[in-house]
Amino acid sequence: MTAFYRNQEYEQESDYPDFTNSRVNLDSLNSPDYPYSRNNSNNLKFKDNAKYSSTHNYPNCPDALNSPDYPGAEDYLDNLGFRNHQEYPGSHTNTTFSRSQRTPDYPGPRNSSHHSRSKHSLDSFSFVMIPDYPGAKDYQDSREDPDDPDSGSNAYRSSSKNYPHHPGSLGIPDHMGTKDYLGSRNRNNQNYPGSLGIPNYQGAEDNLGTPDNWGSAYKQNSQNNHDYSYSENPEMGNKGHHSGLFHRTLGSPGRGNRDYPESFQMTSRQPTSLYSMHPVPDRDGEEKLIASLINLPTRDRNKIIRNQPLTMQEKRKIKKKVNMEKQKSANQSIQLNYCTQCLTATALHYRHFKSVTSEFFQSLDVWQRTLKIIGSKFGTSVLSYFSFLTWLLKFNIFSFIVNFSFIIIPQLTDPKPNNLSFTGLELLTGAGSFQQTVLYYGFYTNSTIKHKGSNTSYNMQLAYIFTIGLYLVICFFSLLYSMACSFRNNFINPHVYSRGTAKLVFSWDFTITREKAVKLKQRNLTTELKENLSEIRHENVITPLKQRLSRFCIHLAAWIVSTGVAIACCAAVYFLAFNNMKFLREHKNQAATLLLPFLVCCFNLFVPLFYSSFGLVEKFEIPRHQVLVIIIRNIFLKISIIGILCYYWLNSIAVSHEECWETLIGQDIYRLLMMNFLFTLFDSIFGEFLRRIIGTKLIKSLGVPEFDIARNVLELIYTQTLLWIGIFFAPLLPFIHMITLFIMLNVKRISLMMNCLPPSKVWRASQMMTLFIFLLFFPSFTGVLCVLAITVWRLKPSAQCGPFQGLPSIIHAIYGWIEILSNRPSYLWVVWIYRNLIGSVHFFFILTLIVVIITYLYWQIIEGRKIMIKLLHEQIINEGKDKMFLVEKLLKLQESQKKTNTFPLAQERREQEVSLNNGKSPGQKIRRHGF
Amino acid sequence: MNSKGIELDPELSPKVESAWLFYRFQALAPQLVTLDYTSNPGVKVPYEVISSMPELKDNPFRERIAQVFSQDGDGNMTLDDFLDMFSVMSEMAPRDLKAYYAFKIYDFNNDDYICPLDLEKTMIKLTRGELTPEEVGLVCEKVINEADVDNDGKLSLDDFQNMILHAPDFLR
Repeated sequence: MTAFYRNQEYEQESDYPDFTNSRVNLDSLNSPDYPYSRNNSNNLKFKDNAKYSSTHNYPNCPDALNSPDYPGAEDYLDNLGFRNHQEYPGSHTNTTFSRSQRTPDYPGPRNSSHHSRSKHSLDSFSFVMIPDYPGAKDYQDSREDPDDPDSGSNAYRSSSKNYPHHPGSLGIPDHMGTKDYLGSRNRNNQNYPGSLGIPNYQGAEDNLGTPDNWGSAYKQNSQNNHDYSYSENPEMGNKGHHSGLFHRTLGSPGRGNRDYPESFQMTSRQPTSLYSMHPVPDRDGEEKLIASLINLPTRDRNKIIRNQPLTMQEKRKIKKKVNMEKQKSANQSIQLNYCTQCLTATALHYRHFKSVTSEFFQSLDVWQRTLKIIGSKFGTSVLSYFSFLTWLLKFNIFSFIVNFSFIIIPQLTDPKPNNLSFTGLELLTGAGSFQQTVLYYGFYTNSTIKHKGSNTSYNMQLAYIFTIGLYLVICFFSLLYSMACSFRNNFINPHVYSRGTAKLVFSWDFTITREKAVKLKQRNLTTELKENLSEIRHENVITPLKQRLSRFCIHLAAWIVSTGVAIACCAAVYFLAFNNMKFLREHKNQAATLLLPFLVCCFNLFVPLFYSSFGLVEKFEIPRHQVLVIIIRNIFLKISIIGILCYYWLNSIAVSHEECWETLIGQDIYRLLMMNFLFTLFDSIFGEFLRRIIGTKLIKSLGVPEFDIARNVLELIYTQTLLWIGIFFAPLLPFIHMITLFIMLNVKRISLMMNCLPPSKVWRASQMMTLFIFLLFFPSFTGVLCVLAITVWRLKPSAQCGPFQGLPSIIHAIYGWIEILSNRPSYLWVVWIYRNLIGSVHFFFILTLIVVIITYLYWQIIEGRKIMIKLLHEQIINEGKDKMFLVEKLLKLQESQKKTNTFPLAQERREQEVSLNNGKSPGQKIRRHGF
Repeated sequence: MNSKGIELDPELSPKVESAWLFYRFQALAPQLVTLDYTSNPGVKVPYEVISSMPELKDNPFRERIAQVFSQDGDGNMTLDDFLDMFSVMSEMAPRDLKAYYAFKIYDFNNDDYICPLDLEKTMIKLTRGELTPEEVGLVCEKVINEADVDNDGKLSLDDFQNMILHAPDFLR
């Protein structure tokens, strides 16, 4: 029926070629095929459009079609022109109404539409002027709600129905309606699926105060809904989806992005509708909220209430009401039987128990308080270092627990005698009596541990390799996960606000409470703003070629010097390391082993200081670049030193036919870690402390030292890398690292409180954290994986010690195990998995191929989204311009109306309007005018 | 819910220890707020006392914060207002809620828009008046240029939230 109606209209109008051919025309837009075929071809959101075609079902309001065709920028422009051309400030709805009302009265569709429009134009003007155009923005909201064609069309229809009673009250009710619609959608979906129109009158009530009118409209609406039965609507399936979306958006509006990537625009706009401009919602808003809350589980309900921008009293009231309603409905439906009562009581107790325990665990979280204090005194940037430190600490506690329970405890049940005496130097060198403990690889047995009297056995070889392997896999995924999260949260379209003055102005860190820190922060902000301003001022001034050349030369020189220093350090480590073995054979003294770690730590401590002194000569235009360059240089130095050490371990020690080379490597790593720890202590105690004494007492100009976040974080990454390499050779290493990290946390904290100032540059904490996690993943963890892979697959384990003694390579433990399993029929699936998946090249080839394809697809999607974002951004700007233009026009009209308050003149105006509306290419004119 | 007879719902204020906050509130003005809260539930602690709290005393926006969270708009707070303030300021509060209140804090004249005048006030608070008026004007212009998506010359809540969506460092 509806299709027929429309087609008829279309045919009628096709008699007038100037109308059908000009896209800007009102009537041609109504035609079902013409605009949409265009849309679909141009549009990225094909799917959404397909949905929109379903809104054709509303015959009363063919113009509702105009509303959803936004995503295509081209169409949008036309549409804009169209709207301007009409000169109806109340937007589409006015025309819609007048058309739909008037058309039946007049036989000629063309005439009628224009005539009616002209008739109504004045009325609409007179009203729309008053409420200072409140609907425009919200209207935009509803238009940008791509997943929700119902909302737009419903609003339109309802408003068009509404008009007969209130011809002057254009614009407002439906705008308000669309605004509130979001909140009400849930209720409709859940409780009143038949009457989708109700909430649109929400705003109408407030603004107009004519309850009888909207009452009737309501009736009409619900009738409509019955007439065009929704069950046949394609959107029906979407209802559940909608309510789910609503629910999610309410809980955390911004995060809707994650789950509904296609609707990113929607989520970015929706919060406004949720937290409507008036923080205290009217009674109906509250009722809607309550109604929507009733059917949710208690937890979600509390969360939603909690996240409402309301005062505590109102929240409490809402909660009480919801509970009452719920009880009422429960009483009405069925009397609660004993069982459900029991269940609810249990649920209540459980929740209470959970909150109590979570509080308990929170109180156990020792670092939370510390972190809070640091945050309050130094701001989020320094806090980010400490949260990274605690994150690593927790990570190491986890790895310690894993290693301890699966490797160390079984080994401890099978003790070996330790006949070396403890001297104290072992703590530093890790050699001596430590050699014969569970600390090192060499101590572990290769046999199967059997308990006397019971049949259970524990294969140490497999336990060792599986524990470490699984640990690394867990590390890999957790790193990947945190990196991805961090990227997603912190690099959302960073190009939009390139300069970020706005960010600076609104970036006040409300966590800071100490007076000094506040003053410092204010000063930093001032300087940053000034720098920003000077950049803006000098933007157009191109620096002379000479200056640019000299700057380039300085950069080049700095890079050459820094790389040279790094290479020199590596060479020194290399020669020392390869001569070290000879040296150690000559000197049996344990302390001699400390020479290499000492040198490495010296490099690690002093070369970065040297690098940061480059800042005196090297001037960067953007301060952030300086930080990045320093980080790159430091990471290059540290990673290449570790690389050289690994080369030394794998190529020299491992093939040196020493008695137990794995233990030797473990000892080396232990020494490096310990030495590094001592150097860090030394650095914070003497470096920062002395620096403060000098800065405050002797040379006042130096001042108090700043806390260098980059250097400290890189130090942490370096030690973590060493630990990951060492975990294979010394399974107890996480325990030692855990202790050192714990001490470091406290020392750094105290030193920070006593000696340091927050960094003076505005530090983008979250983006830097992303970078650090990335660094931890990419050169560090992947490098470790390579080293361990070589160890497992290529190297021959030592013949006399360790769990893998006697095997040609460590991986042969697995081969042997598979061999054994293939003889047992019940384990054949393991063998199958191993042969066909893990051991098969083809499987990995296909897997890689699939991953590459998916990556490519996502890449393309991202590219598309970027274009989309650009277009939508342009669209928003154009909307704004459009709005301003219309408002201007309105004001002009208002003035002129005031001047000429006599009827005949007004009549003349109307006629002018009509003639203007009938112009040949009004869209072009407006475009020229408006843009 | 707790022994003092005040009805605090811990589920409504995200993981803020309500009882602890009550004691904080009581300690602010012991002569005004009695331990038996039920006898006088609507008692208000004046702004002067609120603003001298260690959490707020050095905050350049303390006056605005108190005004935004107090129901009378003058910064005098009831216990409920006090709880509201802490629950929003707590780190558990969702970012959008924080953004909403931050917007209100920056909106000095309560007109639901951050207009250039509001921005100027913000700037003065942020920089303690160290920028020249010309510079302040420039910065305001720049900010509005950057963040005003719909080109109406002022920042709406929409614009503000949009900007915050792109800036993860906000409002930790």
